[in-house]
Amino acid sequence: MSFHRFLLRRAIMVLPLLIGVVFITFMLVRIGGLDPVGKLAGPTATQAEFDSIRENLGLDQPLWQQFAIYLGNVAQGDLGESWLSNRPVLTDIRERAIISLELLFWGVGIGALVGIPIGLRAAFRPNGRFDQVTRVLSLLGFSIPTYWLGLVMIFVFFYLLGWAPPAIGRMSLLVMTPEPITGSYLIDGLLTANWDAAWSAASHLVLPVICLAIVSAAPIIKQTRAIAIEVLASDTVRYAHACGLPEKTVRKLVLRNSAVPVLTFVGTEVTGLVGTMSLIEYVFAWGGLGQYGLNAIISGDFTAVQGYVLALALFSVVVFLVIDIVVHLIEPRSELS
Amino acid sequence: MTLLEVDDLHTHFISRDIDNRVRVAKALNGVSFSLEAGRILGIVGETGAGKSLTAQSVVGLLRPPAKIVGGSVRFEGRELTTMAPDALNRLRGHEIAMVVQNPRTSLDPLTRVGDQLVRLHQVHSDAAPAASRQRALEMMQAVGIPDPQSRARAWPHELSGGMAQRVLLAMALMNAPKLLIADEPTTGLDVTVQAQILDLLRDLVARFDMATTIITHDLGVVAHFCDDIAVMFAGSIVESGPVRDVFAHPAHPYTRNLIGATPERFRVGGARLLGGQPPDLYNLPDGCAFRARCGFATDLCRTPVPRTHVSADHVALCHFAGQLDAAPDAEAQA
Ligand SMILES: Nc1ncnc2c1ncn2[C@@H]1O[C@H](COP(=O)(O)OP(=O)(O)OP(=O)(O)O)[C@@H](O)[C@H]1O
Ligand code: SF4
Ligand SMILES: [Mg+2]
Repeated sequence: MSFHRFLLRRAIMVLPLLIGVVFITFMLVRIGGLDPVGKLAGPTATQAEFDSIRENLGLDQPLWQQFAIYLGNVAQGDLGESWLSNRPVLTDIRERAIISLELLFWGVGIGALVGIPIGLRAAFRPNGRFDQVTRVLSLLGFSIPTYWLGLVMIFVFFYLLGWAPPAIGRMSLLVMTPEPITGSYLIDGLLTANWDAAWSAASHLVLPVICLAIVSAAPIIKQTRAIAIEVLASDTVRYAHACGLPEKTVRKLVLRNSAVPVLTFVGTEVTGLVGTMSLIEYVFAWGGLGQYGLNAIISGDFTAVQGYVLALALFSVVVFLVIDIVVHLIEPRSELS
Repeated sequence: MTLLEVDDLHTHFISRDIDNRVRVAKALNGVSFSLEAGRILGIVGETGAGKSLTAQSVVGLLRPPAKIVGGSVRFEGRELTTMAPDALNRLRGHEIAMVVQNPRTSLDPLTRVGDQLVRLHQVHSDAAPAASRQRALEMMQAVGIPDPQSRARAWPHELSGGMAQRVLLAMALMNAPKLLIADEPTTGLDVTVQAQILDLLRDLVARFDMATTIITHDLGVVAHFCDDIAVMFAGSIVESGPVRDVFAHPAHPYTRNLIGATPERFRVGGARLLGGQPPDLYNLPDGCAFRARCGFATDLCRTPVPRTHVSADHVALCHFAGQLDAAPDAEAQA
């Protein structure tokens, strides 16, 4: 199948899924009793004021009609306005998505960069010393609550040791923010040669990134180990040994044959880190999409909640698309479908 | 000099149970055989008898918890059981080639067929890549792969089972081995394809003058194809010798059952089922391991079994080897 047709087919397949997501969040938000009117109107509002706000927001219309209007708007790229920020939800999400993606990229990137080699090394000598130590450590990584880890790291590295900057966002308040280009302070700082900003942004990234890396590395280690052990026991590796291929060649073969399942796993994991991201962003006052979503839910900003969930769904779709394409490039057996 | 000489090989699976007690499965119990250049040995026996394990022990492919605990394997006079892993690696795929049972899953799925042949040649020689490439095409031709040029660019998953098995044969031939070990090379293939592969294998063995061991369930293969036969049961070779002699005068009750159980042309000594479980390798009985299933067993069979020469190179592991026709056949009477 040609690449264009593949993308087209995928897009067509994904459309009902996204509509479903929009529908379900729309309904859940209504049924879940998130009602902004009370908060918007304030404690002293009269019934008339209430009603006029309802009318303004279109909440006096039947549910299906509200949904139809919303869906129509979404199709045109209009996700509505957040009453918390008083800005279009799409603008909010765009801005904050970059911020979260930056954290996610470094966190999972480092988690994978550390986790995959550890998992492989453990697999090459199952039940050896290294494997046993690794198993205990990754069990710890599994069982530590994310927010607790974040708080302890802040306590130790900021409060006790003073190595890390305070956890109040992505950059020191004393440093000029760089000219916005990508939205990432680190990259923008580097691009505009604003070294102070880049340095400050980098140092603020360290703790949340380590926190996310620890949380994401544990499952990566476990899964990589399992995958590599399976490959090591495969006919292919047995036959490679029977052919007298040198150890180095066999290892390369194991790596290549583990690559696809490991990458697939990491990709899947990325889409599953939503909750973790929210917590980490919250603890470090990161101000990314995760924190935005959390705030929106807590304060009943339902246009924002809907936009947030839709953004997450879209993100998953893109991640799985990228996985499929990458797998297709490595794996001759795979067909784009 | 004998090309391959296996002497009193013992391989055990040594593990620990839940209570941390050592458990030993005696999977090979004194396997001995030898192989001269140009000869073909067929190893037969029921499933679990230790045929594959014998091959793996010989070429040093055991994986824990399997371990050689005694005996020796000499290839051209060199001891293999104590050889360093990288020295063994230089032998395997080079002087000792193997053909395995699942060709499609055994080939590297991420490397084109031709590149795998070339890689194997490069690993074991100093040849220029172009020379390896040339040799790969020649070997693919030799094993009857049509249009080697284009097949060399195929991925393993694009091959049929028979074609993949031909590729494994080409792999085996790449480095002109002195010894070829084929472990059930045709299991899982269509019957017609099986015949083609076996014919091909026989031609190749003659053409390349390799000593060959074929592991099989199929006595027909042995009868058609092999010079010598070794019958395995519970980790021992219970009978061995020239195919003609063993088929004409099977000296071990198990061999008789085996031959009796194969269709028509090999039916010797009446049809008998191969009933019974293989013995528990964790708990082998004293004396003859075949006792529980043997129609000739007597009290004598509880004592260690002698290796009895029926003729010069026809040996059986039975107290009554060579005398069975005289002895009362309990099963036949029942
Ligand atoms: N990990 C293990 N622990 C204990 N015993 C084992 C283990 N792995 C294999 N065995 C035993 O080793 C014996 C030899 O197996 P082997 O694969 O050599 O049999 P085979 O003769 O090749 O049979 P088949 O015809 O099915 O291929 C079997 O009886 C098996 O039960
Ligand atoms: S030694 Fe005894 S039990 Fe074993 S095969 Fe011979 S007759 Fe049967
Ligand atoms: Mg076997």
